[in-house]
Amino acid sequence: MHDGVFFEDHGIPTATVVSSEFVHAARAQAEALGARDYRTVVVPHPIQPLTREEVRALADKAFDEIVRRLTT
Amino acid sequence: MSLNPPDEYMDPTDSVAVPRKTARRPATLEGTVITLLDISKAKSDHLLDRIEELLRERARPQAIVRKKKPTFARPAPDPLRQEIVGRTDVLIEALAD
Amino acid sequence: MPPGGRPIVEPEAEADPIEALYARGVTDGLPVVPPTPDRVRRAIEACGRHGGDLVALVPPNYGRATVEKIAVNAVMAGCRPEYLPVVIAAVEAVCDEAFDLHGVSATTNAPSPLVIVNGPVRAALDVNCGAGVFGSGRRANATIGRALRLVCVNVGGARPGAISMSTLAHPGRYTYCIGEYEEVSPWPSLAVEHGFGPQDSTVAVLAADAPLGVYDQRSRRAADLLATIAPSLAVVANHKMTHWGDTLLVLSPEHAQTIAGDGWTKADIRRNLFERLRRPVRDLVPGKDGGDGLPEHVLRKFRHPQDDETLIPKFRSPENLKIVVAGGTAGRFSAIVPGWTFSKGSSLVFRKIHIP
Repeated sequence: MHDGVFFEDHGIPTATVVSSEFVHAARAQAEALGARDYRTVVVPHPIQPLTREEVRALADKAFDEIVRRLTT
Repeated sequence: MSLNPPDEYMDPTDSVAVPRKTARRPATLEGTVITLLDISKAKSDHLLDRIEELLRERARPQAIVRKKKPTFARPAPDPLRQEIVGRTDVLIEALAD
Repeated sequence: MPPGGRPIVEPEAEADPIEALYARGVTDGLPVVPPTPDRVRRAIEACGRHGGDLVALVPPNYGRATVEKIAVNAVMAGCRPEYLPVVIAAVEAVCDEAFDLHGVSATTNAPSPLVIVNGPVRAALDVNCGAGVFGSGRRANATIGRALRLVCVNVGGARPGAISMSTLAHPGRYTYCIGEYEEVSPWPSLAVEHGFGPQDSTVAVLAADAPLGVYDQRSRRAADLLATIAPSLAVVANHKMTHWGDTLLVLSPEHAQTIAGDGWTKADIRRNLFERLRRPVRDLVPGKDGGDGLPEHVLRKFRHPQDDETLIPKFRSPENLKIVVAGGTAGRFSAIVPGWTFSKGSSLVFRKIHIP
């Protein structure tokens, strides 16, 4: 979260990808840093047991949302 | 400042507490420099590899830059942040799980 | 205006500086010394470092604790300028990952960083190691501990009720700082035990609950006294909690003399207490003497936990029992300071104090 807020603060649109278990923690921390309108891109938890192909499939699903986070 | 220095108090908090706005977005990623920041959590690289492929296929960026944090457990060190700031238009960070 | 400094209030518009600082929400509930640029500059000069030097990023907000930010908070806490190197070392220590300040500051548990000072700096700064060591009355103890807490809240973001969610907390969240009474201790100091030289000045920080007194007026032998102390250690966290980590035993000088008089070292004390503080699985089953008890993943290792005689240690190792000698030379009263140190939690962390 800290990195994303830092880059946004420096004028760089940022998409931070987090797993669903960490959405609330990420939100709370972003708000604590003053970034109330900061939003993450969410992929389903868990990640660690997945194969490479399964992780790549998550990227395919999340891709449009990532682009939306970075553009108007 | 118009006040004499002895009449001012210094701020004990860090400036992180001030409200922030998110950055202005471009209309499209076409022609932009995109940085992919790997937070060093296992599997992040697989996700970012695929995102890079998709960006090249669909977004026509000017360049894609790959960067990696030393550890997901801490914010990126200042030198790395400074390396990125000013040299990228947008940034994608993954993957916190 | 000093570099990096931001005036937060203009007293011309505020009748009372004390009230103005309360209004900013930057105090711990007690009034603070207004951090004027002059006071802050004097503190920075006394530590021999540049105000802009980054000492640590303070979790959970990872606010930047520069020398100047620490100085501002130290001034507010009432520190003399020469205390700043101690506060800086303490900030460094709590920001060590092993301390897990993120957890300490956010948890619903009650820990507060206890600062333990060793070495020559105690005499130089008049750090109390003797009578009333945990109590009020001495500027160094009162303000060094308070400065560390103000940094955790103002720079780290550990604001009570918002990010800091402690159910009860304890008075050590105002200030919590002691010195070890090395001069009357029969043993090497805590710092020397951890590899520092007797001429090094150090801080150690422990994520600590409030002290629990252990009174024993009559024991004349080491074994008798430790037989009194052990059951008080057994109730740390709760009487069935096991595999606990760093916890501090503060032996009063009289108690220390009784134990050392039998030829016992600190290692002997640790070993004796560790052995005494093991309990059979059957006594630790949830439902017996309380609904809490051994966690499921431990219980699963035993076929019939309710009858099993296997001994489970209260502390993960004898070395988790940290021992200092402190307090007045009269009085047979020691104290246990429970750590917030469950498995993968916080640990005692040392830093050397750099005095210019």
